[in-house]
Amino acid sequence: MNRLAASLGRMELQSPVAVASGTFGTEYFDLFDQSVLGLYVSKTITLQARTGNPPPRLYETEAGLLNAIGLQNPGLEAFIGEELPRLREVLKVPLIVSFSGASIDEFVQILLALEKEEGLAGYEVNVSCPNVEKEGIAFGADPDVVYALTRRLAELTQRELIVKLSPNVTDIAAIAQAAEAGGASSLALINTLYGMAIDWNTGKSRISRPVCGYSGIGIKPVALALTYKTAQAVRIPILAMGGIHSWQDALEFFYAGAAAIAVGTALYCDPLSAARIMQGLREHMEARGLSLKQIIGTVS
Amino acid sequence: MIRYLTLPVHRSESIGGNYCLLAVRDAGLAALCRPGMFFELKSGAAGQDRRLFKPVSIYKVQSDEIAFLIKVLGPGTQALQVLEPGAPLKLLGPLGNAFQLVKDSRVLLVSGGVGYPPLAYLRDKLDASNEFTFLHGGNCRDDVFPCDDVWTVDGSSGRQGLVTEGAVQLIRDKGINVVYSCGPLPMLKALAQIVGPILHYVSLEAYMACGVGVCHGCAVPVGEGYQRVCKEGPVFDASLIRWGEL
Repeated sequence: MNRLAASLGRMELQSPVAVASGTFGTEYFDLFDQSVLGLYVSKTITLQARTGNPPPRLYETEAGLLNAIGLQNPGLEAFIGEELPRLREVLKVPLIVSFSGASIDEFVQILLALEKEEGLAGYEVNVSCPNVEKEGIAFGADPDVVYALTRRLAELTQRELIVKLSPNVTDIAAIAQAAEAGGASSLALINTLYGMAIDWNTGKSRISRPVCGYSGIGIKPVALALTYKTAQAVRIPILAMGGIHSWQDALEFFYAGAAAIAVGTALYCDPLSAARIMQGLREHMEARGLSLKQIIGTVS
Repeated sequence: MIRYLTLPVHRSESIGGNYCLLAVRDAGLAALCRPGMFFELKSGAAGQDRRLFKPVSIYKVQSDEIAFLIKVLGPGTQALQVLEPGAPLKLLGPLGNAFQLVKDSRVLLVSGGVGYPPLAYLRDKLDASNEFTFLHGGNCRDDVFPCDDVWTVDGSSGRQGLVTEGAVQLIRDKGINVVYSCGPLPMLKALAQIVGPILHYVSLEAYMACGVGVCHGCAVPVGEGYQRVCKEGPVFDASLIRWGEL
């Protein structure tokens, strides 16, 4: 019996542990067996290649990490031509391709191109990157836009359609409901919070893009609250993330209402964190005689 | 093949005001090391598990011992500095490319501050057919390590001034045809100007998260776009770096 079997929309997962888009590569499979993961989420791709933001792009704060990568990626064509065949060959777990666009038409164009490709289980629609001007959060902050976008995409695919939400909005529940009404089969949250750090000695921003993305340990309470709030507002499942480092952290997210969780920044503190979380969850569930689905959303 | 290990510290020394030396022993790991490569290091002590690793160049490899010379800059390196022999050190690596090793050349090595370790390792592995000179500079005597010619900004050790002044003389007088460098950005920028068209390999430093090429956090302007210090680097052909953007 697999006590950690999970469901995410149209997908049945062998493990409730995933990786956050942009934080993972198959390089890590040198260090642990990929069967630890329930699904693999690619780095976000865009229609055209993006070179990303100028350096410096990173800074470790007192509690977590700032980044301004800026969706650096080779673009749709190179992804389909080079990266996707490689991923198809290496991966034994379901592949979710994360993508973003500067207009609804761009999102549609990318999805249609990917629909022709085999070997992917679904999509993560990234409307929440804080580090770019047009793609990303410019899209994800308005419920009407999220509804219109999700509806267009949902009409075009039978695959898993995950909409990734930003915490940098007034009411995440309203955006989540818009994605659900538009036909999203699940939600991913949270993308990074807005963050900033300044060198007190020189007065310069630590990062080339002063207001950038904040992830890791410091955002966990925020991510947990938004997971809970969203789970109360929608019926579709949530892939939750934000500062999850340990199996105990993961359990908190399941109690708050997450159907599955993703690890991101924690991988940079311990490349084995996903494997460690999976093992800890397995032992805990075994010891308690519980299965994951019994505890989801049961916070009291 | 990247390896991730926790090894007991074999040697631990405080050096000068602001540096420490840590060494571990592992024959398999030592065999994978090349000059220019680095490791992501982290103290295995409690309280560090939610902190990032710190990228540290390899300083010396002697039989099965790998040594690191570390400048203490912030919480991550402070946690490394206090590790005693026997304490757990987490290592991810070896990472990055390595210096191209030349033969039959007149070589100049130039380092500044904590840029010293990768060049010291390189010096040990340079082919005997080369003639070489190793210049090193620092702010003060605390930043000085063994080499052929020392420069300090405050004059407390060696010659007073910037190490790049020494490079100007040597390139002119010795017909240098290969330069290797590592150090603070202003030094590297000045040196790239001085060196001009001579073959010049630079080891760059960058703030880093994953260390293995997945996060794109350590990107630097090289060629037409950005390249990763952890994956395509840390050693780059200086003529391909867009210095004005750094």
